Amino acid sequence: MIQINSLTHTYPGSRKQAPRTALDALSLSVREGEFAILSGPNGSGKSTLFRILCGLALPSSGAVHIGGIDLLAQPEKVRRILGVVFQNPAVDKHLSVIENLRIHADLYGIKGADFSRHCDEALAWTDLADRLNQRVETLSGGLARQVELAKVLMTRPRVLLLDEPTTGLDPASRRNFLAALQKVQRDRGITVLMTSHVFSEAEDVDRVAIMCEGKLLAFDSPQALKAMIGTEMVVVQPMGEVEDLAAILRAELGLAVRRHGDELRLEETENGEGLPMLESILERWRGQIKSISIKQPDLEDVFVHVTGRAVPDHAVKKELPR
Amino acid sequence: MMAVAFSLAKREFTRFARQPQRVIGAVAQPLMFWLFLGAGMGTSFRPPGLEQVSYLEYFYPGVMVMMLLFASVFACITIIEDRDAGFLQGVLVAPVSRMAIVLGKVLGATAIALVQVLLFTIAAPFLGLSLSLFGVVLLVMGFILTSVGFAGLGFFLAWGMRSTSGFHAIMMVFLMPLWMLSGALFPISGAPAWMNVVMLVNPVFHALEIIRAPFYGGGLDLLGRSGYLLSLAVVAAWAGLSLLGSMRRVSRREVGV
Ligand SMILES: Nc1ncnc2c1ncn2[C@@H]1O[C@H](COP(=O)(O)OP(=O)(O)OP(=O)(O)O)[C@@H](O)[C@H]1O
Ligand SMILES: [Mg+2]
Repeated sequence: MIQINSLTHTYPGSRKQAPRTALDALSLSVREGEFAILSGPNGSGKSTLFRILCGLALPSSGAVHIGGIDLLAQPEKVRRILGVVFQNPAVDKHLSVIENLRIHADLYGIKGADFSRHCDEALAWTDLADRLNQRVETLSGGLARQVELAKVLMTRPRVLLLDEPTTGLDPASRRNFLAALQKVQRDRGITVLMTSHVFSEAEDVDRVAIMCEGKLLAFDSPQALKAMIGTEMVVVQPMGEVEDLAAILRAELGLAVRRHGDELRLEETENGEGLPMLESILERWRGQIKSISIKQPDLEDVFVHVTGRAVPDHAVKKELPR
Repeated sequence: MMAVAFSLAKREFTRFARQPQRVIGAVAQPLMFWLFLGAGMGTSFRPPGLEQVSYLEYFYPGVMVMMLLFASVFACITIIEDRDAGFLQGVLVAPVSRMAIVLGKVLGATAIALVQVLLFTIAAPFLGLSLSLFGVVLLVMGFILTSVGFAGLGFFLAWGMRSTSGFHAIMMVFLMPLWMLSGALFPISGAPAWMNVVMLVNPVFHALEIIRAPFYGGGLDLLGRSGYLLSLAVVAAWAGLSLLGSMRRVSRREVGV
C-alpha cells in the first residue's frame, strides 16, 4: 500500500548551515491493512519522511507509491485516501470541537447525515462527548489531542499517517486511543504508519521499523525483532568504572558486551543460558558488581541494540504517569 | 471549490468575531488616525483645486483603504504560524484545490474588511457626502476588489515568511508606503515628479480612485469615464494576479537538493 523506494532527502543549506541529509536511500514498504510503527532517535528523519508521504515536500531522489498511485507526480489523487496526524497540533484553538470537525468534514466533502454518522464513530472512544461546544483552547492538552485524532478518523482514510499521535495523552487515553485506532483499522482494513517512541505501543502491531540517521535499520514483526537479540539477556551494573568491567568480561568470556548508559548487556543468550552465566559472573567478579539481573528483551532493548544508543530521554519521560 | 473556500472563510470570520480586541483594534486605529490627523491638519490643508474640501473629508476614502489594508494584513499574519505548526497543515493535506485554500483566506479577510469599512461609511452624511444607489454598488465593488488585492498580496508575502516579525517588517517597509503613496494622505498633484510616477503605477492609488469616485461622481456616469475605468481595470488585474501568484506559491512543494 505504501511503497518507498530508495528515498533520499537533503534539506538545502543556508549561509550558516550546511545542507543536511535527513533521509538516505530509504526503502520501506507497508502492506495493505498493515499496522506499522516507525521508530528512531530524534532527528532520524521520521517527520521528514512524513512530510514527503503527505505530499508537502518533494524528495531529492527516489519514488513513493501510495495505493498504487505515484505520490510525487499526483499528490492530489493520494490526498483523497490519506489521513494525517501531525506532530504539531493542527486544530484551530479559537473554534469549538464541533466547529473544528465540521470544517474538516467540509474539506473532505462530508455532509448532512454522513457527517453525524462519521462524527459519532470518530468520537466514540474519546472523552469529548459533553464538550463538543467548548473551544479547543479551553481543553487540556490531552483532550485537544483527542480532537485532532477524532478529526482524522472522521474522514475514514484508507491510509493513515500518524506522527507521534499519542504525545501528551495520559496512559488511559493512550490505551483508549490505540484500542480505538486498532479497531477501526481492523474493521476497515486501513493501512497505518505511525511514528512513536513509546515501545509499549508497539508490542502488538504487525511490524516495527527502526530508522536512524535517515536509514532503515530494521523492519519486522515485534517477535522477530526480539528474537534478533536472543530470548534472554544478562544486565550487569558495575560498581566502579563501567569500561573496566566491560573489558574484563569481553576478554574472559569471549562474549559481545554492549554498554548502555551505566549498564553492560550480554545479549543473544538463549533460554536457560542466562542463569548459569549470571551465576558464574557473580562468582568471579562479585566485588565489582552493583547489581545483576536476567531479563527478557523487549522492543526497547531491540531499539538500543539496533541504534546503538540509549532511548532518548524525553521518550522515557513520556512513559511516566502524569 | 467554493464550498471549501466558504467554509474556510467562515472560520476566519468566526475567529475575528471571537477576538474583541482585534475588532476594536482594527476599527479604532484607522478611526483615530482619521480624527486626529483630520483635526490637526484642519486649516493648513489647502491644495490648489481642493479649497472647498476639508482634510477630514479628503482623508476619508484614504482611511477606508487603510482599513482594508489592515484587515487583510491581520488575516494573513496567521498564515505563518498556521502553516508549519497549526491548522493549515491539515488543510494542505486535504483533497482540496489549492485555489480554495487561497480563496478561503482572501474571502474571509474581505468579509471582515467589509464589515468594518461599511460601518465607517455611515460617517459619509456627516461630511456632507452623498451616494446614489448605483454609487453604493460601485463603492462596494471597489471595497471588495481592493480587499481581495490586499489579502492576495498579503497571502503571497506571508507564505514565503518564516516569522511573524518578518511579516511586520514587510508591512512597514512595503505595504504602508504603498498606501502613503496612493494619494490617501496628500493629493498626487502636489508631489514631486518622480513620486508622481511611483503613485501612478501603484495599484493602491487606483484603488483609492475607485473608492473616492462614487462619493463625487454620482452613479452610472462613472462607467463612462476613462480614468475611472482604467483604475478599475488596474485594481481588478491586481486582485487577479495576486490570487494567481498566491495559488502558485501554495502549490509549490519544498524540494530537496
Ligand atoms: N526545515 C528543515 N531545514 C533543515 N533541516 C531540517 C529541517 N527539518 C528537519 N531538518 C533536519 O532533518 C533531520 C531529520 O529531522 P526530522 O524532523 O525528520 O526528525 P524526526 O525523526 O522527526 O525527529 P523527532 O523524533 O525529534 O521528531 C534533522 O537533522 C533535522 O535537523
Ligand atoms: Mg518528528
